[in-house]
Amino acid sequence: MSNNKHPRLRLPKFTGRILISLVLLVLVIISIQVTQPDMGKLISSFEKGRQITDGLLSPDILEKKSLGSYTISIAVPVPCNSAPQEIIPDEGHRLEIVPGCANPRDLVILNGYDLGENADVNMRWVLPNGKLFSIRTAKTDSSGNLSEEIDVRPITVAVDGIPSRLEIEVFQPGSTYSASKTITDVFNNMYVTIFMALLATTIGTLFSLPLSFLAASNITRKGVVGSAVYYSVRFFLNMIRSYEPLVMASIFALIVGFGNPFAGVLALSVVTAASLGKMFSESVESIDPGPIEALQASGATPLQVVLYAVVPQIVPDFLSFAIYHWDINVRISTIIGFVGGGGIGYFLSEKINTFNYSSAGTAILAIIIVVWVLDFLSSEIRKQFT
Amino acid sequence: MLRVEHLTKVYPNGTVALKDVSFEVPDGEFLVVIGLSGSGKSTLLRCINRLIDPTEGKIFLDDQEITSANSTELRHIRRKIGMIFQQFNLVKRSTVLTNTLNGRLGYANPFLSLLGIWPQADKDMAMAALNRVGIADKAKNRADALSGGQQQRVGISRALMQEPRIILADEPVASLDPVLAHSILQYLEQMNKTDRVTVICSLHFLDLVHRYGTHVIGLKDGMKVFEGAPSEIDRARFKAIYGEEAQEVRATALE
Ligand SMILES: Nc1ncnc2c1ncn2[C@@H]1O[C@H](COP(=O)(O)OP(=O)(O)OP(=O)(O)O)[C@@H](O)[C@H]1O
Ligand SMILES: [Mg+2]
Repeated sequence: MSNNKHPRLRLPKFTGRILISLVLLVLVIISIQVTQPDMGKLISSFEKGRQITDGLLSPDILEKKSLGSYTISIAVPVPCNSAPQEIIPDEGHRLEIVPGCANPRDLVILNGYDLGENADVNMRWVLPNGKLFSIRTAKTDSSGNLSEEIDVRPITVAVDGIPSRLEIEVFQPGSTYSASKTITDVFNNMYVTIFMALLATTIGTLFSLPLSFLAASNITRKGVVGSAVYYSVRFFLNMIRSYEPLVMASIFALIVGFGNPFAGVLALSVVTAASLGKMFSESVESIDPGPIEALQASGATPLQVVLYAVVPQIVPDFLSFAIYHWDINVRISTIIGFVGGGGIGYFLSEKINTFNYSSAGTAILAIIIVVWVLDFLSSEIRKQFT
Repeated sequence: MLRVEHLTKVYPNGTVALKDVSFEVPDGEFLVVIGLSGSGKSTLLRCINRLIDPTEGKIFLDDQEITSANSTELRHIRRKIGMIFQQFNLVKRSTVLTNTLNGRLGYANPFLSLLGIWPQADKDMAMAALNRVGIADKAKNRADALSGGQQQRVGISRALMQEPRIILADEPVASLDPVLAHSILQYLEQMNKTDRVTVICSLHFLDLVHRYGTHVIGLKDGMKVFEGAPSEIDRARFKAIYGEEAQEVRATALE
């Protein structure tokens, strides 16, 4: 055994374990002191937490919509004799007002017949100038009739013999579900996020290409100038990579405006360029020098050598890294919105800040789905290249 | 006629790989370079097409000095010198046809070649070359889908595309089993005999040296320790060149 040749300082096993346990214990104690976890708080705010999770867990996805609606109306002469009263039909859904005319500030009863059972009704005034004036909603009884008291407001006075009308919109009971407004918003924002990530990945990749060659030792680190370039590019890449995209995004958000997707694009582009630059450079460094030598030996120009011997070797890696990074960028850009980068993250933070937890739930659900789908897609696509 | 004069190569780390080596290779010769591992065979072959720049000495192809050529001249010289490698050095992900066409890059229209466009004449030539080494049916396969022997044949067809005057073959069969070794060397022999291509080839096996070489150079520690006809290399000489390892090498060679 080679270990025996180079004996190293070794603690007896038992003592070693105790020492390690002690160190771990001290670390745990320190971290508790530093973060001061308050279990009591977790229990005392249980009710609040339940409300929030309830909201988050019942995402606003579908919207109830009635099967159909119809509108009928009846003229209300205010004051009396300012316009003729309407003749009320004997059958079908119909309206009646009692009394048949009114003066301002009177009360009238609006009766409706055969409107359909248990239907939601919107009641409103249609003023002589055609403006709508919402009153309130009501519900028909089990025989399909309606009887509601209506205030006759001065605004309903007839003009030039044209009376105001009471109009009802009747929603037939039974309903269908359709995508809610939130869903549309989430879609639009998700769309922004995905394309923000795509744009950032594209820009970042374009910048990373030259950087990667400059940061590859087998290409650049030749001579004094080459080494200087190599080390400074590498240093630069490492420096940028050590910044969290979030920090970068909040800085850019300050510059180009809060909630502006451009901030996210800028931050992600910079991070992507640095990170892909590093990954690509490692891939360039690991290529087989054999074909390069072979093409040089056949009299090919340096550019031809790069195109025919280097590029075929790195393209699969480059594509797969770039796709992988797009996947990562979608993930990050969902979060970047929180610090003002726009897109679904910004939407989510807005909803949370306005206590709209079910909309927030929708956004979270959408993020989960998109991340999952992209993860799957990107791994499938990358399989094609290896 | 290739002329090597007082060639010396000292690597940056101080290793002296070649020490004052001189020899001449008349056109049409099949020169075999023998020597222990580390004796400088690869360094010598790579100095000839200047994949490695020699430290001292001169190399002439006819009357043109290779060692002082500028980059354009060098590329024109290299077009006429094909090279075959122990590890084949194919672009593994490219097709056999593309790998073969790569041998024509030195002649290609620089602009079209950057777009990946090849004239039909070059494609026909590549198919003919592949046909000659018996793997035309593999033209559309990826290079790494081929066996070692087949890959080396692609290496030969790539060199054929250069219409070379000289072939440098650096242990072309060291990665192949003995049966395949003969099939590969026969292609080199055929180029040597029918196309009058000068072949400079490093080999490890004594029987292959006897079978294919028309002239032999022996290297030891970077110095030329033997030059003569293959028939002059008996076991004693072989031992002098290979030292104590001779037993082992011969055993492999006789298999
Ligand atoms: N790039 C290099 N830098 C430093 N030393 C090198 C380099 N290439 C080769 N050498 C050294 O030069 C000497 C000759 O090497 P060379 O590869 O020419 O030998 P070879 O005869 O081809 O050996 P092999 O049969 O193993 O291929 C060896 O000592 C080797 O270690
Ligand atoms: Mg060698």
